[in-house]
Amino acid sequence: MKLPLPPWVRPRALIALLATCAALALGPLLHSDVYIHNLLTLTFIGIAAALAWNWLGGYLGQVSFGHAAMFGLGGFVAAKAEISMGMPMVFAWCFGGVIAGLYALVWGHPTLRLRGPYFSIATIGVGEATRLVGTYWDWLTGGSSGTSLPMHPNLKFTLYWYALALAAVAMAASYALRRSSLGLALLAIKSDVDAASDVGVSSTRLQDLVLFLSGAMIGVCGASYGSYFSYIEPGDMFGFDRSISWVLMGVIGGIGTIAGPALGAIIFVLLRQYLIASYPQLYLGLYGILLVLVILFEPLGLTGLSLRVLRRARPDLIVSGSET
Amino acid sequence: MDRFAELVIASVLLAGLYATMAYGLGLIYGVLRIVNLNHGGMIMAGAYAGWYLHSEYGIDPYLSLLPVAAVSFLLGIAMYRGLVHRLPRGAAGGVQSLLLLFGVWLVMRNVAYLLFTGNDQTLRTSYSTRAAVLAGALVSVNRVAVFAVALATLIILHILLTRTYLGKAIRAVAQNPDSCTLVGIRVERIYALTFGLGTALAAIAGLLGATLFPFNPSFGAGELLKSFVVVVLGGLGSVAGTAIAALILAAVEVFAILFIPAYLTAAVGFVLLVLVLVLRPGGLFGQRVLG
Amino acid sequence: MSAVLRADGLSKRFGGLKALDNVSLTLDEGRILGLIGPNGAGKSTCFSMLAGSTSPTAGRVFLGDREITGLPAFRAARGGVVRTHQIVRPFANLTIFENAVVAAVQCSGLDHAGARALARETLEFAGLAARRNEYPAGLTLAGRKRLEMARALACAPKVLLLDEVIAGVNPAEAQEMVTLILRIRDERKVSIIMTEHVMAAVMRLCERVVVLDAGKLIAAGEPKEIVQNPEVIAAYLGKKHA
Repeated sequence: MKLPLPPWVRPRALIALLATCAALALGPLLHSDVYIHNLLTLTFIGIAAALAWNWLGGYLGQVSFGHAAMFGLGGFVAAKAEISMGMPMVFAWCFGGVIAGLYALVWGHPTLRLRGPYFSIATIGVGEATRLVGTYWDWLTGGSSGTSLPMHPNLKFTLYWYALALAAVAMAASYALRRSSLGLALLAIKSDVDAASDVGVSSTRLQDLVLFLSGAMIGVCGASYGSYFSYIEPGDMFGFDRSISWVLMGVIGGIGTIAGPALGAIIFVLLRQYLIASYPQLYLGLYGILLVLVILFEPLGLTGLSLRVLRRARPDLIVSGSET
Repeated sequence: MDRFAELVIASVLLAGLYATMAYGLGLIYGVLRIVNLNHGGMIMAGAYAGWYLHSEYGIDPYLSLLPVAAVSFLLGIAMYRGLVHRLPRGAAGGVQSLLLLFGVWLVMRNVAYLLFTGNDQTLRTSYSTRAAVLAGALVSVNRVAVFAVALATLIILHILLTRTYLGKAIRAVAQNPDSCTLVGIRVERIYALTFGLGTALAAIAGLLGATLFPFNPSFGAGELLKSFVVVVLGGLGSVAGTAIAALILAAVEVFAILFIPAYLTAAVGFVLLVLVLVLRPGGLFGQRVLG
Repeated sequence: MSAVLRADGLSKRFGGLKALDNVSLTLDEGRILGLIGPNGAGKSTCFSMLAGSTSPTAGRVFLGDREITGLPAFRAARGGVVRTHQIVRPFANLTIFENAVVAAVQCSGLDHAGARALARETLEFAGLAARRNEYPAGLTLAGRKRLEMARALACAPKVLLLDEVIAGVNPAEAQEMVTLILRIRDERKVSIIMTEHVMAAVMRLCERVVVLDAGKLIAAGEPKEIVQNPEVIAAYLGKKHA
């Protein structure tokens, strides 16, 4: 049976993704630990967010320190839609995502003309400005008191599967964005945006696409976060610390790789849970050290480290270079 | 009219602080082409240093200025030699150096949190609340002192950069590091010294700022952005350009109170930054290189 | 002989500076046109406008019958006008093969397999096939210049704009480049405009030459005539030597 798959999809990867999803989806039937169940839900959301951040930060090489702007916007727009317009949850999420994606386009399109560090600094500005406006925009966010979302019985429990779906979609999109011809074009833009245009890459359009997708996905993550906690407030949703967390997940996990940020997200969420219990606020310093180590010694983070170890143990498994 | 004079004076006094703060960032960027994302961290560190010396040992902040600056200078050199030095220079290292110094900032934040807790602190001295009349307006004595110190620092800096051999070497390296090695300038040494200098300036600005505003370990992001606005607006190199840009920023912030609610004035700096970056990345004076 | 690329009265102003002033040129199909002139004459500006990286302040550009004035670079490339760069700009994070694939996919309109085949073929043509899985950093300058050309060819262009491809390589490599350029014209039927400082190459390759000085066109004709043209000599060496 020949499946109508695009040529760049490796069947093995597809099977791995589907199998993992199936296992995780059925998992809750095997155990009844609510704590782990909820932790996984948060992890899935974190994975989706980190992967989305990486599309801009890793694939295009434009590191954003202000992605919380879209996370918060998506969250509050979705909440507002649910509360004031009575939108069903999933629709509200999508609505929040689209608005967030458009917002990313609005500030991102002109700002992407800046290269490298200038862009990153601008994103700090965007993030902080959005936070300040959000903190005082009572109508949308409820001001510093925040917004409470309607609590449905059992919602937190069933969110597990929604979050899993989100992470799966993000993972599939990460794979597609990287391995399709679009991925090659993005890498070319990352390397030299003008030379890319000179060989036919519509650089501006592709950058806009990535901006939108990255912003929208993070917006949906913000919306799902809101549904999970049933209460969101601007200081947390739009916070600089939140923006930083995806930078850390992405870079430490492996910036620019397909799955690296997912790894970073898993470690980040798990570590945070552990540390928050015993050593609150210590994890930022820990991540700071990890970040420094990654930048100095292993630019591809944990993924790069794993590849290096694997290459030494089983050199036949790792093929470098591209297929022809 | 009195109100207007008050605001003008407030702008000028604030501009002094902003100019000193920004110059540290601009110096490092101009010479090493690195955006020092630990700038905010050093500002915070300077604030805590001054506060700690004052609350534990009763040392007046203006007296601890010199030792704090000296220690920060050495710390900056150590950071360069230990970390930054290992990265490739120029565009290739652009985002990497950003992230590296960002990591250092996170560590500093955490250390400050562990040592001093996350609570807001203020540096209150016996003369913090004293006011005097200047040009028909009431101004805080402390603010004038801050301005005086900032001005003195900038003047010393200007003399250093234009009249001394070291200063000329720094400017030469900023323009063309390769040619410098040909004429016997030890470029790596200049890089280290410049990084130390920029770090010290940040710490000084932090210490001065601690006497004016409350601060906590998360302090610094806003200051980083404001420094960036000044650097991009004023171009690199001329102290005059930095001063004028600092004045513009300070004035916009101070006068914005007339038009928008107080809590949004902080956003002004951020919006200004994004606008300036997008519209005039070459700065008001069109300069990009030191010298 | 039809004109495959034609520029009419191209001008470019940068603020107060007129970089190019009313320059017109014609490239006939299957020919190689040389664009020469002293440094600062406006050759790069002219190139940029033909390829779409910059848009002219005045004047028009035609590809065959179609006007392409002011088309952004990526559209010009997809339309068939592709340039190489004076300072080579390979995609450092892609393999040599991937460098060509990007161009092939974006410009040629072929499907996945077809584009990869075209990329492989252009690399073979340029003599880089054996190293296709390596990264550009491993190539010599001559190798990277050939990669620029291969990548441009992977766009299946009608017109190729070569920006000083021969300068900076040793004589043996230069000879190989000349051969390659001739093969591009003869085997791949691509029309070429080239700027060059290496006069020997210009004499050898170009059927016609156009000379720029200070943004203006000062001479056009066959290489033999141009070289003896007193105005051209004056432009390069100063009025005394004419």
